[in-house]
Amino acid sequence: MRKIFERIIETILTMSGAVTTIVILLIVIFLFKEGFGLFRSSDIEKGYSLCIHADNSAERLTPEQIKQIFDYEVENWEVLGGSDEEIVPFRFDEIFSRYSDEELGEDYEFMPDKLGEVIRETPGIIAFIPTQYLPANRMGVNVLPETTITPADFFGGKEWIPTATPAHQFGVLPLIMGTLWVSLFAILIALPLGLGVAVYLSELAGEKMRNLLKPAIELLAGIPSVVYGFFGLVVLVPLIQKGMNLPVGETGFAGSLVLAIMALPTIITVAEDAMQNTPRAMREASLALGANQWQTIYRVIIPYAASGISAAVVLGIGRAVGETMAVLMVTGNAAVIPHTLFEPVRTIPATIAAELGEAPAGGTHYQALFLLGCILFIITLIINISAEMISSKKQTV
Amino acid sequence: MKRVILAVAILVTSLAGVQAQKIKGSDTVLPLSQKEAENYMKAHSSQAITVTGGGSGVGLSALIEGTTDIAQSSRKIKFDEKQKIQESGKTVKEVIIAYDALAVIINPANKVTKLTREQLEGIFTGKITNWKEVGGEDVKIIPYSRETSSGTYEFFKEHVLKNKNYKSGIMSMPATGAIVQSVSQTKGAIGYVGLAYLNKEVKAIHVSNDKGKNYVAPSVATAKDGTYPIVRPLYYYYVTKSEKLVRPFIDYVLSPAGQKTVAEVGFIAL
Amino acid sequence: MKRKQIEQTIAFTIFRLLGIIVVGILFWILGFIIYQGIGVINWEFLTTSPTDGMTAGGIFPAIVGTLCLVAGSAVIAFPLGILSAIYTSEYAGNGKIVRFIRVMTNNLGAIPSIIFGLFGMALFVNTLGFGDSIIAGSLTLGLLTLPLVIRTTEEALKAIPDSFRTGSLALGASKWQTISRIILPMAFPNIITGLILSIGRISGETAPILFTVAAYFLPKLPNSIFDQVMALPYHLYVIVTSGTDLEATRPIAYGTALVLILIVLVMNLLASFLRKKLRVKDK
Repeated sequence: MRKIFERIIETILTMSGAVTTIVILLIVIFLFKEGFGLFRSSDIEKGYSLCIHADNSAERLTPEQIKQIFDYEVENWEVLGGSDEEIVPFRFDEIFSRYSDEELGEDYEFMPDKLGEVIRETPGIIAFIPTQYLPANRMGVNVLPETTITPADFFGGKEWIPTATPAHQFGVLPLIMGTLWVSLFAILIALPLGLGVAVYLSELAGEKMRNLLKPAIELLAGIPSVVYGFFGLVVLVPLIQKGMNLPVGETGFAGSLVLAIMALPTIITVAEDAMQNTPRAMREASLALGANQWQTIYRVIIPYAASGISAAVVLGIGRAVGETMAVLMVTGNAAVIPHTLFEPVRTIPATIAAELGEAPAGGTHYQALFLLGCILFIITLIINISAEMISSKKQTV
Repeated sequence: MKRVILAVAILVTSLAGVQAQKIKGSDTVLPLSQKEAENYMKAHSSQAITVTGGGSGVGLSALIEGTTDIAQSSRKIKFDEKQKIQESGKTVKEVIIAYDALAVIINPANKVTKLTREQLEGIFTGKITNWKEVGGEDVKIIPYSRETSSGTYEFFKEHVLKNKNYKSGIMSMPATGAIVQSVSQTKGAIGYVGLAYLNKEVKAIHVSNDKGKNYVAPSVATAKDGTYPIVRPLYYYYVTKSEKLVRPFIDYVLSPAGQKTVAEVGFIAL
Repeated sequence: MKRKQIEQTIAFTIFRLLGIIVVGILFWILGFIIYQGIGVINWEFLTTSPTDGMTAGGIFPAIVGTLCLVAGSAVIAFPLGILSAIYTSEYAGNGKIVRFIRVMTNNLGAIPSIIFGLFGMALFVNTLGFGDSIIAGSLTLGLLTLPLVIRTTEEALKAIPDSFRTGSLALGASKWQTISRIILPMAFPNIITGLILSIGRISGETAPILFTVAAYFLPKLPNSIFDQVMALPYHLYVIVTSGTDLEATRPIAYGTALVLILIVLVMNLLASFLRKKLRVKDK
């Protein structure tokens, strides 16, 4: 009886031991299943087709070209490899201004014919119409073949306009750049400050000071990111704008600053722990050899704690890369490839947070956001594994 | 531990008799729905109304998925959204609950007072980048937009940008309040917000829809008489199946008392 | 010799300055929120619903919502996490499996919270059909805190000297008896400390609840675990960015931010109080 009981307990425990692995697996499955569905989705809006005049020799148009056409930025088919003909973009809604509801029929049963008429009449047309109303009579109408979004469009694209019609623009480059810029600069700001404080706490501060400051810093690590974001929005953003005389305050720099403040407690705690772990013998040997305290710190203690400190840095970057709310509130969220830090930027987590609610489940936009999640997941995984490698290296040395 | 279990048990046992309905969608309509719901529940204590934002697109897709009872929207339902609801065998009903004028706002320190529709298009698509091009000082123009989920974003794109895309990398704010806040802090800023959001910290410009002949300031009066060009209806959408559940509330919103709230919140009553 | 001394003085002055600056910044943030928020918080603020389009009234529903979410995710994460930690530190030895599990736990802990939000929406809200609900939000938050619970529990268990285990086993107790009667009671105060800290973390998370549970306005308290709730961190985010009259909602935002900070503060104080009490008992 007791044996069986023990076995049951052991089975339960083994199963709970596997729980984190299972969760990770589930996350990977769901993220990647939804995310990679994107590359099977059509690059123009679901349920719609693009039609051109039959005499038009244009074939595949990239999402970027389609956008340029409908923004009137490209105005002649010649540019796209066709004949010298002015491009006439036609959106479905325009049909209602050309024909009355009676002409289109009660259930729009005459819609396909009327659309066919419009297309046949206009040699330079590119019509964006619901697939269900495609003209039955294909004479003189050329339906562009459906193409899917390619990884090149996604990873190489420079524009993120997920709801643009007819062709969604899922260029992820600005978002990746934005995320990396903001996080890297956050660490560049936080690292020297955090290290300095860690040295101070570990080597210079008295017992009383330490006992006061350490819990305070731990407390700050626990403050929710919305609170930091709120602080950033009401205090830092106006301060940056006025102080640096910038046209806008919501910039990558504001994001970096808020992230740096948020990363400080982590960096301080981990680096301080690493320094504290320096064996007493090493310090004393250094001092006995005539080195003063400062030399001991930067010749002995910091090199000894280096791997711990670098692990702290890498973890700090990981946190910064994934931080959502605070960044969403202060960076201005403009999807451009940043040239300086003093421009608005848009990060991957902020994009997911701002857009996921709107994206209909299962649609192209939804899939694109999950793919962003995959990218973020892979970035943080790489960062985390390198942090682990760094700290395990220390153990073998 | 016991307490936790007890708390969960209490949560699980749902109290009967409360009529719950959910409203979801446009952030523009959000303050209105919230206040209407607040007042409505004061009079009908057995009713519980949940109001959530997220954007018009969010509300309508929630309606399609059946996770909300009313979708509040600041744009007309899209053709394919309607299609999707019909595919699932439901019929969608549309109710206009109020009107809203979109004001184009700039920083009070900006000397510019009027712009044509074409100039606005140029500014928001990125063709015009400096205030001196439209008669202002030599200051860079910083256009602020809403997130792509917002009906305001779509409406402005359709009616002011004539369906062209916003310039890439436009500042996008998660909610209208944030646009007002940013424009009030930023000298070169320009943004678009519902009439209800106007305050002293920002300046609404006069807009011309006839290439500069007449410029009109946004107000309830000019929106009502049709002279102000950027006016849009605000909608509630629901499926006929839940008519019984949602109709009393919608009727309340359309009643004189409800329409009084519309005006109070800063929208234009029917 | 002299140069060395000067160098040291300069370096130390810089470090002291850095220390003061950083601590100054951190306390500036705290001080700012406390200064702005303290006047707002009173009994009425904590116990009434928002009114007048969020410009007046209190944050009671958001507090209740956050409590629900904390309770819900605790129910999920605490037992699972503790069992998992018992397995890795007491049962599984030190083989490849345990190392693998540790790596996985660490990786799970490093995944950004927004990814949990994505995942929770895909699995709990859409696939399992819970909709936006307390249960979807609690599951998401529970999984998010799991690594933290496992790590702190493992540390607490490791702190118990092996002699207690061998002693108990030598007296004829079974492995489970040893764990349940000796090890767990001894590690209990440290485990509790870890759990309390994780409660602080749960109550402040925004990104995972954005798409799984949070509601903008909800006058009634939730009736079942399939209801939506308001939650403090989301409430703060929403009233900071939306609303027709930002000036009027600002005080409420400061008050909400202060309540969030107070929750973390109380949890930390409670945890360190328990830790101290435990140390006294050890002696």
